[in-house]
Amino acid sequence: MNMFLHELRVYRKSTLVWSISLMFLVVLFLLLFPSFSRDAEEFMQVLEGFPEELKRAVGLSIETLATLLGFFSYAFLYIKLGGAIQAMNLGISIVSKETREKTADFLLTKPVTRSQVFFSKLFAALTSLFLTNIAFFITVLAMSSWVNTESNNEKTLFLICSTLFFLQVIFLALGILTGIIFPGIKSVIAVSLGSVFAFFILGMISSSTEDKGLRYLTPFNYFDNQYIIKNLSYVAPFVWTGMFIVFGAIAAEMPIYQKRDVHAG
Amino acid sequence: MNIVTRELNGNRKSLIIWSVGVLFLIASGMGKYASMEGAGETINELMNEMPESLQAIMGTSGFDLSSALGYYGMLYLYLTVMTSIHAVMLGSGIIAKEERDKTAEFLLVKPVSRSVIITAKMAASLINILLLNAVAFLTSISFLQQYARGEEVFESVTQLMMGMFLLQVIFLVIGTAAAAVHQKAKKAGELSTGILLLAFVISVAINLNEKLEILKYATPFKYFEAGPIINGDGLDLTYLAISTILIILLIAVTYLFYEKKDMNI
Repeated sequence: MNMFLHELRVYRKSTLVWSISLMFLVVLFLLLFPSFSRDAEEFMQVLEGFPEELKRAVGLSIETLATLLGFFSYAFLYIKLGGAIQAMNLGISIVSKETREKTADFLLTKPVTRSQVFFSKLFAALTSLFLTNIAFFITVLAMSSWVNTESNNEKTLFLICSTLFFLQVIFLALGILTGIIFPGIKSVIAVSLGSVFAFFILGMISSSTEDKGLRYLTPFNYFDNQYIIKNLSYVAPFVWTGMFIVFGAIAAEMPIYQKRDVHAG
Repeated sequence: MNIVTRELNGNRKSLIIWSVGVLFLIASGMGKYASMEGAGETINELMNEMPESLQAIMGTSGFDLSSALGYYGMLYLYLTVMTSIHAVMLGSGIIAKEERDKTAEFLLVKPVSRSVIITAKMAASLINILLLNAVAFLTSISFLQQYARGEEVFESVTQLMMGMFLLQVIFLVIGTAAAAVHQKAKKAGELSTGILLLAFVISVAINLNEKLEILKYATPFKYFEAGPIINGDGLDLTYLAISTILIILLIAVTYLFYEKKDMNI
């Protein structure tokens, strides 16, 4: 319990900064929504002059995109990017900082087992992410009821917003795995930023080309917002893949962490 | 000279990883192009009528995805983001690491002045950046020539890569300046990546709302966009001037602050 509270305290400031940044992103993007929906309406009138089949094809996708949910799904992509960086950063840093700051001998001579250390750190990280998500979701609810003229669809919003948490848990697990395998990482932000952006770009390529196989490679595309809006549920195979990654990573991390040689000083 | 060689050696591994990343991005992106069927003429015409905010959400951002160069224009955005991350991490790391790894005393007692150290570190980073740019250039040219049936690509790609190089230098000096100014070495990386992420978010927000157009001077990601360059307009002179001033200013900041800096060990 002490370790859990200690880690929470250490990461208090960073949790706060990340929560505020994500809330700022939500406010910024949703403030742009009213002018965007005006743009979309004007364009729908331009569309009248085009051939019928084209109008049907393009108009339909614009109608779904021009709603608050459609617009939010787009903005949400960048929020997910931020959230993933936070999670991966936290994951790498929380398990590697003992080595980096040379406090490993201090911690490991305490009368606690290594699995206790590991789980305290894991739960502290999860708590920190969870708090960020609560702050984020409240902001989304408040902002969307403010800017949206039509009735608000809380259930869909909730389903979409929870994917932020799932995505973060996946990246947290990947981060912890990275931090445990390479405890000597000197600059955490360089590693996390690089790998998260790599996944993000892969996700952009995969969604602009609609490649089926590539989609499994990047957690960013496990949750398809359009699908959620239409069906109010997640895509099952990707949920399983996500869970597999998380539990697989944790199962791999535990034995490594327990057996690892720790160099003091 | 010793410092330059030393830094080149120290950054070799990360440069190789980043080069592989850039190579992979271009190869997989252009590989996807080969498997895509081009959009018809009417769609392109319609896209031109579309407000920019809608284009951004539809995910095409005004590029003619049926031509190899147009498709490359979409990739270029991610390429610049990736190389900017490399540059900003390199810049802040190369200065801040002496304090972070507690080697500052060792370096500073050597019979070289601080400005010589900075010059050497800058030269080493510049070589790194140039090499990464060269990798991107060669890969782009070879893939584009393979796919561009008769299109003239060499000039456009050269200009795009020049724009990317300026962007890299801007972010490099943002990194060095942040590391020179910031008292805590560990925070320099976070500060400079914060600036980068903010610049990226601003550029996304500008795409969504034309009223934010004025902000485009504030984010380097808007300085050299692929669209006008591919259309043959070349690099924008205003932005060239702004970049030059920005780079000189930040280099001056780096030197001035590093000369006076208290090392925190």
